[in-house]
Amino acid sequence: MIEMIRAGRLRSCAPSPRRSGESECRRRALALLLLALLVAFTPAAAQQTPSRQTLTIGYVEIAGDPRYEPIRGADRIILKTRAHPYPGAEVSIDDAVPLRRVLPVDFALARISVSSAEEVAPAVLQAIESRGIHFFLIDAPAAAFAPLAAAVRSRDALLFNVSAPEDSLRRELCAAELIHTFPSLAMRMDALVQYLVARNWRDVIVLEGPLAADAASAVAFERSAKKFGARVVAHQRFKPGTDPRERDQNNPTLLTATSRDYDAVFVADDAFDFVRQLPYRTQRPRPVVGSIDLEPVAWHWTWEHNGAPQVQARFATHAAGRHMESADWAAWIAVKMIVQAALRTRSSDFRAQRDFILAGAFDGDKGLAVSVRPWDHQLRQAMLLASPYAVVASAPVEGALHRTNELDTLGDDAPESPCHLDKKETVTPGR
Amino acid sequence: MAASAPRAPLRSVIAGVATVLLLALSGPAAARDTGLIFVSNEKTNNLTVIDPKSYKIVRDIKTSRRPRDLHFNADHTKLYVACGDDDVIDIIDVSKLEVVAKLATGPSPETFAMDESRRRIYVANEEGSSLSIIDMDENIIIREVPTGGEPEGVLVSQDGKTVYVTSEVGDIVHRIDAEAGVVDDDVVVGTRPRRFAATPDGRELWVSAELSGDIFIIDRQTFQVAGRVEFLPPGMRKSDVTPVGLAMTRDGKIAYVTLGHAAHVAVVDVPTRKVLSYVLVGKRAWGVTLSRDEKRVFVANGFGDDITVIDAASRKALISIPVGRTPWGIAIDD
Repeated sequence: MIEMIRAGRLRSCAPSPRRSGESECRRRALALLLLALLVAFTPAAAQQTPSRQTLTIGYVEIAGDPRYEPIRGADRIILKTRAHPYPGAEVSIDDAVPLRRVLPVDFALARISVSSAEEVAPAVLQAIESRGIHFFLIDAPAAAFAPLAAAVRSRDALLFNVSAPEDSLRRELCAAELIHTFPSLAMRMDALVQYLVARNWRDVIVLEGPLAADAASAVAFERSAKKFGARVVAHQRFKPGTDPRERDQNNPTLLTATSRDYDAVFVADDAFDFVRQLPYRTQRPRPVVGSIDLEPVAWHWTWEHNGAPQVQARFATHAAGRHMESADWAAWIAVKMIVQAALRTRSSDFRAQRDFILAGAFDGDKGLAVSVRPWDHQLRQAMLLASPYAVVASAPVEGALHRTNELDTLGDDAPESPCHLDKKETVTPGR
Repeated sequence: MAASAPRAPLRSVIAGVATVLLLALSGPAAARDTGLIFVSNEKTNNLTVIDPKSYKIVRDIKTSRRPRDLHFNADHTKLYVACGDDDVIDIIDVSKLEVVAKLATGPSPETFAMDESRRRIYVANEEGSSLSIIDMDENIIIREVPTGGEPEGVLVSQDGKTVYVTSEVGDIVHRIDAEAGVVDDDVVVGTRPRRFAATPDGRELWVSAELSGDIFIIDRQTFQVAGRVEFLPPGMRKSDVTPVGLAMTRDGKIAYVTLGHAAHVAVVDVPTRKVLSYVLVGKRAWGVTLSRDEKRVFVANGFGDDITVIDAASRKALISIPVGRTPWGIAIDD
């Protein structure tokens, strides 16, 4: 287990390949220094000094997590780099630095790196028991969550899922100690279908890849299509390759040469290699959506409203110019929710903070305030429908209506969900 | 009857030309009280200048990129415009209607306040998380005050000794000692605090909180939250209520609050803190400015690419005028 403690106020300037990054870092350091001096000479702060506390947030990840391996094309060409969302959490810690004068709490991250999904639960337990950490960001694949939920059941712990989209975690697993700030697959597909229906592009063919993740996406898409009135006019399974005997399964033109016309092609291709070669090779001139070209995401670096460009800019300085992505946002908002809980409750009691997080509304820098759904602990949030260089629309799309909160038109609404955490007798036994 | 149809536009063209001619002929000293309405457009990098009588566009002033907040100097000879993507404040000569100088700021200046007696400009740098204090004559940043993330609203007290700044990320309002250039106190307010208005008696500071959808009222003596005003225009949802712009009448009786995505302006009775009325305006209403006689209220509709003119007495919208893309703020030369 490798561990690093990181607090916003104790950061050195690592040498940066980008000069601007370096100077930005120096400027920040200077700003922090000024801030520190200021705090030192403010009478109000002087009174608070003896009782300052540190609230440490655990960040658990798996070293060598295959979800973050780069996606390559032929000849080792890297098509997409992928990275742990840790810098998203760091940005939130830095965002909290100016609160030092009004809040006698410092926030810090403990980065805990394990080597497999099985080690996540023991690592979390150990951090709870030996270090008194209550809040964790879990950056792990779905397989880690069932043992984790069992391990922390009824303990004073709150775990934020920041990178696993699986609906099963929100439905069957249904754990009170979990909060999913990363959007579910159901939310993503609902957002996509809402947009297609809003444009009256209702007839869609579905191309499904060979992976389990592809099957899950296709199921989620069909469910959303039924929900919002789109029609799946053909459902084809593709098999990446060039074998001429299997051309009905690997040739983009043949796969899209259905007798019925369609408005769009939805592709579920987690491996990305097939779908990247699909646009402009379809039989009919139709847009491709899903795994490329129009993707439903929690965050996109080009979103220019709700203060998003400023978040993207702060993130880029932390992450060597990288674009902020959905998991980065999920980590960022998770830490922000914890900071807000400390700020607004003025309490260092974990249960008071947890109750605030479960009941409060938070500024996610993407429009409508985000909040935790009481039934399955999914964070309700707007979704962005992103093309490579622009956000085409945000969902809920205009006209998507709901009796209480339009954000609940995305993903499992209370009546649809098999998970009813709000109706269970007790979430955590009394003290 | 057919012959009379083209006359109205022609008349307004003549009026427009006359205005421009008048402006061209008049010297700086005569530049006052033209009544011209200046609108900053974030995405078209220009100011739209509108004639106050005909409501026709009479001029388009190119600025640096992303013009946002704008203020006149005391004698209205100069108009200062913060331009976020070029890190400058453009200075426009009001008689020439063109940019004649620039002041350097920190990264991404958004809103600012001027204190002409001390020759200072206080500008919030959205991406720099700081307040720049600029010497207007020397054109130098004399001090950079660190603030919480995304500082936005800036207000200078009447005596010029105190500057208030909101931090959108920190949900706090900083109180800054203007002379020392340091934060001397903070107060936690609602989520995503944006802009200010001060009551003329010097007692209260009103702050719009965009995401919690309310106005926080700060007692300036104790520097504590002393009240709150909530909004809910008819037919809207609480989540659409995203107040940003604030303008108060000089007598401190009425405040106008733009409600962003709720597409309304709230008219608030300041002493009782009660909402008197809601006026329907355009999409994502932000900037709000009163005419000097306080008979008209001008609102910039960011997602409608237009401004709405409201009659203050009847609390009705009179007209919407298309301007550039993403109008941010409005200043009136009256």
